[in-house]
Amino acid sequence: MTDRDLDRLMSVVLVIGVIISALLIALGFGASFVVGWTGSLTGATFSQVDPTDFSSLIERLAGLQPLAVVQAGLVVLIATPVIRVAVTAVGFWRERDTLYTAVTLAVLGLLVVSLVFFR
Amino acid sequence: MTLGASGDFVLFVVSIVAGLLGALGGVGGGLVIVPVLTLVFGVDIHLAAGASIVSVIATSSGAAVAFLRDGWANIRIAMFLQIAAVIGAIVGALVAPAVPTQILLLTLGGVLLISVAMQLARLAEEPAADVHPAPDRFRLGGRYFSLRLRREIEYQPTRVGAGFGMMAIAGLVSGLLGIGSGALKVLAMDGLMRLPMKVSSATSNFMIGVTAAASVGIYVSRGYVDARLVAPVTLGILIGAISGARLLPRLTNRHVRLVFVPVLLLIALETLARGLGVNV
Repeated sequence: MTDRDLDRLMSVVLVIGVIISALLIALGFGASFVVGWTGSLTGATFSQVDPTDFSSLIERLAGLQPLAVVQAGLVVLIATPVIRVAVTAVGFWRERDTLYTAVTLAVLGLLVVSLVFFR
Repeated sequence: MTLGASGDFVLFVVSIVAGLLGALGGVGGGLVIVPVLTLVFGVDIHLAAGASIVSVIATSSGAAVAFLRDGWANIRIAMFLQIAAVIGAIVGALVAPAVPTQILLLTLGGVLLISVAMQLARLAEEPAADVHPAPDRFRLGGRYFSLRLRREIEYQPTRVGAGFGMMAIAGLVSGLLGIGSGALKVLAMDGLMRLPMKVSSATSNFMIGVTAAASVGIYVSRGYVDARLVAPVTLGILIGAISGARLLPRLTNRHVRLVFVPVLLLIALETLARGLGVNV
């Protein structure tokens, strides 16, 4: 794989990430007009109806809760820049550029810490 | 924070306009939607920032594709400065809940004013030139093809330390207010490091989404990312920004763009006035 291919791969990853997340957010937003934010398209009921809480996401997603569908879109969206940085690190590594592989991994490490550590 | 189904729809339409206005006025959608949500809709400024920071990631990831293709963005400079921006963003997001709303509004108004001023300066357009300062330890130099001069322009950054510091401030402001702080990033690269404007803005756009990703996790865990608010705002700004980017090349007369500047200026002044406690 050449640099050009890596750039192209990164572009494809970004576009797919944004499209999937936008579709999920649009779907959840649209469904909220039909069954309400904490309702369910499958008729399920949920104990978790706090719009700022991302817990029990899978379970609520299975019950097609509009809130959960939007939150799933947000998770995909937040992942796209993280993947972008990871792909960049791979690119520098392939160029045998140790300085910038380290710099990019430092950025990736800070991102992961901010996403995982502060909760 | 919810405004009901009809309120959600109004928010969606307003966000489309904010995204469009931001794209045509040369500032980010976040810089428009945060004051609008706070001042017009009475949304808590932290919830507004939480919704905005998500939309910043969406527009940046969407825009990065074009910038990668054009080859103006300098990935080494982006990653090097990103360390400062990401640390600033984490600190900003962590301290934001403790900062009084008045101070946040004043900062927001200030950044808006700087952004508008820079947009006006850019409309005056400066000529591109080769810059040859001392060789750099971090191999940050590069080259790009100038369409206007029809030749390759080589560039080397100056004052890398100052640029790094400015980038930490840009990250801090991004984390505090949930905006991309593209103007401050460009100021660091174009103003302090003397990089060509095209390279500065493309690199800044490449960086913005990653900086935003560094504070969004903290916003989520603090309960400031309300899906009911984020959905209409993010979708609206994304649609507005994409339409704006499509529309922009057709607006060949730069005076057309000057129409959007007074609107942004008005929002900036209103935000500053509210920050000072004046109800205009």
